[in-house]
Amino acid sequence: MIPDYLERLERELSFDRPLSRCVRQEVEDHLWEAVAADSTGNTLQAQRRAIANFGDARAIAAQFAMVSLARHSRRAGVAAVLIIAGVFIAMKARLAWYAAAQWVISEDMRAIGGLVGRIDRYAFWLSVIIGLGGWIYIRSRQIPAAFCPVYRSQLRRFFLLCSATAAALVVSVISDGVLTALLLHGTEMSAEFMIPIVSMTIEIGCVGIFVLQIRRVTQRAASTAALQKI
Amino acid sequence: MLKGHLDMIVLAALSAAGPAHGYAVIEEIKRRSGGAFDLPEGTIYPALHRLEQAGLLRSSWMTADSGRRRRVYTLTRTGNRALVERRAVWKQFSDAIGDLLGGTRPRENPA
Repeated sequence: MIPDYLERLERELSFDRPLSRCVRQEVEDHLWEAVAADSTGNTLQAQRRAIANFGDARAIAAQFAMVSLARHSRRAGVAAVLIIAGVFIAMKARLAWYAAAQWVISEDMRAIGGLVGRIDRYAFWLSVIIGLGGWIYIRSRQIPAAFCPVYRSQLRRFFLLCSATAAALVVSVISDGVLTALLLHGTEMSAEFMIPIVSMTIEIGCVGIFVLQIRRVTQRAASTAALQKI
Repeated sequence: MLKGHLDMIVLAALSAAGPAHGYAVIEEIKRRSGGAFDLPEGTIYPALHRLEQAGLLRSSWMTADSGRRRRVYTLTRTGNRALVERRAVWKQFSDAIGDLLGGTRPRENPA
């Protein structure tokens, strides 16, 4: 009887595997301890009573889903800051390489390069401001016991901040790509190309990870909302 | 009503019992409340996880005598501070309600 209940609870929490495994172990310990403490001596009855006292698996899972959603939202906030830092480091490393190799944009492309460089700078610093704002915002929110309307709107605001951060980062990375293309334009292919290409790949990868993080939070919010509808 | 104060109840039980696992926390709540709080036992666990995430508790795994893995929770310094604050707010609230229901003279505002 207890294994069936644990299976059900684990199934309900399947959207977060590490959490479901951890909760299963904790609840298993609780239920068997409750059975051991039962004085009736009837194990089957004791198991039934322990499960009834513990509560409906779906209702419990709904409360855990809220904890999981809050944790993943906070993680996305931290990811935003780390990813911006990653893009910044890749960008600075590339610029240092250009300076060391004395690579400059050709005279006829300098005007376009200047414009794209400005767009890149503004977009990047915009992503820094919004990203930091999003992280501070979600970090300072209290974790509610249920997926209440207040938390829903807080999460919506956080999602908007994350989306704006991602959009600004995408603009910045595209601008970086254009600037890299302008620099490499007309240069003969060599091993030195690897540095700008690798740094661009890192930037694109960072943005991709961030977009996936945002998507994961929205999916988790949807599964939490679904679990609340008991 | 009880749900709104669940965090405070859990913090208070852990403060009284010391490091404890979920089952022991529930037993402590039952014992200290004289069995007055009859909430589904399962609701304590999401609350413990939430409080840990908020930095008010920390947990560690150990092996119980039964051989099963057991998660033990401990109040952090932040948790202790939060409990002191919540106790003060609760005392103020319960004193006000007590005065109101008891029909005693209103206390003077210290401000």
